[in-house]
Amino acid sequence: MTVVELREPPAYYPGCSLDGMGRAYEVSGQMVLEELGVPLDRIVDYNCCGATEVKNVSPDVALVLPARNLALAREMGRTEVVVACNGCLYSLARANDALADTAVRSRVNERLREGGAPGYNGTARVEHILEYIHSRVGVVGVRARVRRPLQGITVAPYYGCLYTRPKLWTGAGSSPDRENPHDPGFLDDLLEACGATVLRDFSAKTVCCGGGHALSDLEVSVGFSASILNEARRAGAEVVATICPLGQINIEQQFDRIRQAYGAELLRPVAYFTQLMALAFGRSVRAARLKDNFSRPDLFFRERGFP
Amino acid sequence: MPVVERSLVETSRPPGKVILDGVDVTGHWSTFLNSRVPPPFDPGIAQWVRQQPLGATLDQCWQCGTCTAGCCLHTDFGLEEFNPRRFLYLAQVGYDQELVRVGPLLWRCLSCNKCVERCPKGVRVDEVVHEVGRYLRETGKVPESPADRFDSAYTSNVLARGILDEAALYRTYERGEGRPLPVAPTLRMGWRLLVSGRLRTGPFARRTRGWGKMRPVLLRMLEEERRNRQRAPRGPTPEEGRR
Repeated sequence: MTVVELREPPAYYPGCSLDGMGRAYEVSGQMVLEELGVPLDRIVDYNCCGATEVKNVSPDVALVLPARNLALAREMGRTEVVVACNGCLYSLARANDALADTAVRSRVNERLREGGAPGYNGTARVEHILEYIHSRVGVVGVRARVRRPLQGITVAPYYGCLYTRPKLWTGAGSSPDRENPHDPGFLDDLLEACGATVLRDFSAKTVCCGGGHALSDLEVSVGFSASILNEARRAGAEVVATICPLGQINIEQQFDRIRQAYGAELLRPVAYFTQLMALAFGRSVRAARLKDNFSRPDLFFRERGFP
Repeated sequence: MPVVERSLVETSRPPGKVILDGVDVTGHWSTFLNSRVPPPFDPGIAQWVRQQPLGATLDQCWQCGTCTAGCCLHTDFGLEEFNPRRFLYLAQVGYDQELVRVGPLLWRCLSCNKCVERCPKGVRVDEVVHEVGRYLRETGKVPESPADRFDSAYTSNVLARGILDEAALYRTYERGEGRPLPVAPTLRMGWRLLVSGRLRTGPFARRTRGWGKMRPVLLRMLEEERRNRQRAPRGPTPEEGRR
């Protein structure tokens, strides 16, 4: 434990969504990190990482965008970057991998310097906030902080596609303390530590939510969102926990269409896992910003007696 | 689809009289091949794709089909025609006619990366599929797709301020698609975003400090890349390829 505390805290890359639509994730995430005693320092002048879209327009710009953020983190003296969004994780880890090549690195660095940003030497580790909490604090540490357990609430843990994939870049499964790329379980562990009944066999854990085409291909994005909710219903979940703002917003945004196409019995509240953890740590429904979510988990938790 | 082998496409039969060990076999031993080879094949397609920055892993594909077996569109969504293994195969052999037929499907790839994760040969399947799609689009064989327009709208949105303006992206994309925003749901959502302090869009959008210097560099890169692509060799025409 002392070894862990001696290390510099990683830099935190929020990504556009957490300062925008996913504000509840940002606020509750900071709350949880604070409570657990592992706060992170934000990369101040960050920019969008390019997600999966920019690479289809320009492969080079899709490297410069994340590289600028990694370079800023290195300039802060940090060797680890923690992100909260699966899309950012993908993009930053992908760039990190590409920039291991010296020719690519010098090409990208030239552009970065032209644009007034520091160069990047290719040595940062990118990690998801879920993995960070699990490896730094662990189940025991989380359990010790729980004041109001999520007793009797059945949660479906939904990881989404790019949390561990591809393992080549994210490093999933590369050591025992990293996430298992074939059957992820860190979210299950943390929610269980919070006292919730977790559906460990939830079959749609890593199914794509269709969020990449949330606007451009409604047939697919509505279909996938509905199938995740349907699996949750079949398994008896009351709440779906997410770890990615794109997944969260995509599923919630399709509620009207899902209701029309498949019926209202599929719909259930969807919340960021940090919101659920904040609740378990004794924060109020209001403080965890559960009212921000379009699927209104605030109503559900109030009904269950959470203040 | 007819049975096709690459060697049959690329080697030509000897013209005129063929004498093997003193026996004249002209016109008999290989005539059946004609019916097995559907024209036209274009080796230029594979050549073009593998020269692209995201298409370099095309030739590593061994056609095992692991990508298709796990593909979320093929398996979970049930779009059986969406078959990444086959898309790569068609590009490898240059089966132009069939690629044009399945081409309108390629854009639906969601980049969920299950294929990249599982590929035993290290092919970056989603990137190669996108490059094949780009080939079809740039040669005018398949029209621009909604996802292409979304990617462009996303990129210009990000390049403008450094940080994505989600509400503006929604507005401009939907307008570009000719879909007017539904009044009641948009107002309802706008109101909810406003009261929760999340409606920072348009003139109120956030921007990255120091982006003024980064932006022109990235715009220039886009321009250069566009110019280089236009100069990229397209490979021989189908007719040349067959010879």
